[in-house]
Order: sequence, then structure tokens, then C-alpha cells
Amino acid sequence: MKSKKSDILDEVGRRDGMTVPEGYFADFNSRMERMLPPTDFERSEPGPVVLESPGRWQRIRPYVYMAAMFAGAWCMLKMFSLMSPSADGKMSFREDPIVAEAVSNDAFIDAYYIDDYNQYDMYEDIVGDSLDMAYMPENIEDIMDN
Amino acid sequence: MSREIPAEDSQLIERLRDPRQCRAAFGEVIRAYSEPLYWQIRRMVENHDDANDLLQNTFMKAWQSLENFRGDAKLTTWLYKIAINESVTFLSRERRRQNVSLDDEESGLLKGIEADGYVDGDKLAGQLREAVASLPEKQRLVFNMKYYDEMKYEQMSEILGTSVGALKASYHLAVKKIGQYIEDHN
Repeated sequence: MKSKKSDILDEVGRRDGMTVPEGYFADFNSRMERMLPPTDFERSEPGPVVLESPGRWQRIRPYVYMAAMFAGAWCMLKMFSLMSPSADGKMSFREDPIVAEAVSNDAFIDAYYIDDYNQYDMYEDIVGDSLDMAYMPENIEDIMDN
Repeated sequence: MSREIPAEDSQLIERLRDPRQCRAAFGEVIRAYSEPLYWQIRRMVENHDDANDLLQNTFMKAWQSLENFRGDAKLTTWLYKIAINESVTFLSRERRRQNVSLDDEESGLLKGIEADGYVDGDKLAGQLREAVASLPEKQRLVFNMKYYDEMKYEQMSEILGTSVGALKASYHLAVKKIGQYIEDHN
């Protein structure tokens, strides 16, 4: 339900019911302009345009921007060279000594990379390594299951 | 000419600060601002003759202190400040002259509404004017600027030196009081 206050504000809108005599503003404007007395400010000379001398930051700013631009370009080039393939077609990050060491470590690969190493894989490894099953303990299957 | 507040003109401000061009530029200021400033003053003092005198004083003071207008404040803000200051000073002088308190100001303004011949006879608008006249001075000022001039709170804040939050609260209270006044008088 609308209140009475919003009713009247809606109905009246921006009207205030006030009027002025005919041609009032045109008369006022010309009368007012004629009434303006001469001032000291009007008689004064315009002040010289003072150019502020540039501060230290203003002076070094272009060089700082340029240095930042070169640093950014260097970082981008570095990133591209790390990500781009080397001459033998491999990604160069594989040549990283830490990555190379991790990849060459079988225990690491078994523990973190080959996460689905199961009994079947073990038999295959044993056969592949030409080991004799006869030397395996009898309960090898139980050991693997646990 | 329009009741609306003109947009800020940086070139005009530059010319106002140039002694050789300031008179012509101030003529443009008068033409652009006389109407919105007149209505702001008129809604405060209600009477056309008083509003006319106060508008004249406003422009005269602005012209005489033009040297001090550095252009870092908006032209609108500067002129409105002068106009509102003139209106508030006038009202307090009138109160002292008629020996009435701030609370009794409403009756004086209502008499002004009745005595002023420059109204269009719009009954609803008249009722709203009476309701607005019943508000305390600051609330009346805030209501007029927000409702009639559709001024932004940020600009009102610059002119009146009051926080935006306080202005919003003041306007809300003013609208509520107007509603109450209308209900009580119907």
C-alpha cells in the first residue's frame, strides 16, 4: 500500500508552484551584469605562467620504466627458453639435474609414478629378469596381497 | 536557461581566473546559474522579492571574491555555498528582527507563502511547500537540494560540509516529516 507522503511526492513531481514575473531572468541577468563594479583583480595583470621544475622522480621516471620493460622482456625470454623443446625434441626441463635424477631413480618411479604395481606386474618383472620361481617363498602371493 | 545545474566548464573557469576575460566570463556565469540559484534561494526564503535581493547579493559576493576562487573547487559548489550562506544569514536575521525562535520559523515562512503573489495556484504543490516550510532549516535545505534540484549526495556534501550518511538520514527524516504533516493536515 502506498503511503500518503509518496502519493503527494509522486503527484506533485518536481513542481513547487512558484512563479516569477514575466521575463524575470533575462532582466535580472542584464541588470546584474551592468551592476558589477570594477575590481582590483580585473585591473591586475595576469600572472606569469609558472612551470614547475621537474622533481627527482619526474627525471628518473623514464629510465625506471625502461628498466622495468627490459626486465619484463628478459623474464619472458627466460620463460620461453625453459618451456621450448631442445634440439633432440625433448622438453628442456627434462634436462634439469633434479628431474633427471628423479627419473633415473627406480624406487622413486615405483613409489610415486607407477602407482598400480600389482602381482601380475611383479610376475612379469620376475620372468623378465629371468629369475626362477622356485626360489620364491611359498607364501609370496600372501605377502603381495598384504 | 534552465532550472538544472549547468555542467562544469573548465574553459570558463580558466577565463574567470584571467583578469582580462573575467568580466565576460562572469556574465556567462550569471546567465548559466541565475535560474538554478534563484530557485534554491527562493525555496528557502519563499518570497520572490527576498529571493531576488539574495540572488543579487550572491553574484555580487562571488564577483568581489573572484580573485580568491582558485578553481580547485567546483564552480557550482562555490556559488551554491555563497547562495546558501546568504539565505541562512537572511533567515536568521529575519528571526532576530521578528524576535522568533528557530522553532517558530515555520509560521513566518507560511506567512511568506501566503503573502507571495508569485505562485501558480497548484493546490498540491502548495500543500507540499507548506509541509517543507514546516521542516527545520537544515532538513529543508537538504530536501530542496535532493528533491527539487536532484543533486547528488556527494555534491551536497561538498556544499554543506556534512557527511553523505548524515545527509541521507536527514533527507529520509524530512520525507517522513512531510508525510506526517500532510496526514495531520488532511
